[in-house]
Amino acid sequence: MKFRKEVNAEPQGDSSREMRELAEAMSLYRSAMHHVAQKHAAAAWVSPERLAAESRKHARAHRMRLFLVPALGAGLAAAVIAPVALHVHHERAAVAVVAQPAPAQIVASVDDTELMNQIDSDLTQDVPDALAPLDDLSQQGSTNQSTENTNAHQK
Amino acid sequence: MEEIAGNELAIEKRDQAVLELADFDEVVRVYRPRILRFLLSSLTDRDAAETLTQECFLKAWNARAQFRGDSSLATWLTRIAVNLMRDHLRSRSLRFWHKTRGDSLDVMDISDWIPDGRSSPEDIALARQRVAELWKAVDDLSAHQRSVFVLRFVEEMELDEIAETLKMNLSTVKSHLYRALAVLRDRMGGKQ
Repeated sequence: MKFRKEVNAEPQGDSSREMRELAEAMSLYRSAMHHVAQKHAAAAWVSPERLAAESRKHARAHRMRLFLVPALGAGLAAAVIAPVALHVHHERAAVAVVAQPAPAQIVASVDDTELMNQIDSDLTQDVPDALAPLDDLSQQGSTNQSTENTNAHQK
Repeated sequence: MEEIAGNELAIEKRDQAVLELADFDEVVRVYRPRILRFLLSSLTDRDAAETLTQECFLKAWNARAQFRGDSSLATWLTRIAVNLMRDHLRSRSLRFWHKTRGDSLDVMDISDWIPDGRSSPEDIALARQRVAELWKAVDDLSAHQRSVFVLRFVEEMELDEIAETLKMNLSTVKSHLYRALAVLRDRMGGKQ
């Protein structure tokens, strides 16, 4: 719209001269662009067929990389982390073994207590249970001796 | 009768386009300068234009089985180039490169070459100046305006062909072209 208004507003002579100059400039521009493109078209060129093959190869390599990188990463992680984790686990287990008393010792300490109690109770008795049969024997022996003494007196 | 003849002509054109695609080396030889020219004019970046031209033919090679000849080979290839260019301009990195213009086409590359043998040095200098001014003015156009302008005035495509290539309505193409010319005329006139 602006273009048309401007064209109408200007004197006919100026407008046609401007248009002629613009048309000439466009013609020169077209020729120059043709020349420049022709000059650059002679530059290095890879045939699309070869480029397509290269592109396919590149895409295949890219897919392989997509698959291989996570796989290698996972493998590497497994190779490094697993032994470290195993080592840490072993160290913790060893610390636990040192820190905790041995079950055998616990059993022994319980046994000692019982033993001490048992000894204590035994000592408080007049005749320990273990010596009870001997006590009977000594009583029996003293009875026999008194009987012998009585017999002797009687004799 | 006319309708049948028209259909036959369309089928013949389609078969010809499909047949043309069979010899891909020839397709590259014929259309590569055209695609490069379009991308060079649109992007004003030599590296990007060469890369996208290469990519355009790679895409065409990969999709050659899908080409049914509904449009001409030139339109099909240009459409691929337009899509690649849009992706390129949309991407962040490319926008950066577009901005910095690291390997931009020097305006001197363009204006140094004046096609016809002009007699006086003044004429040559004036012609160079005009091309340089137009180059700068085209660079200031919006992406759509520039594409339409380049396809019309550099590639000399018909408006309906441009509409088909850019997937635009004919009226939209006309509107972009009209605005582009208005901007160029304004810039060119303002410099004088």
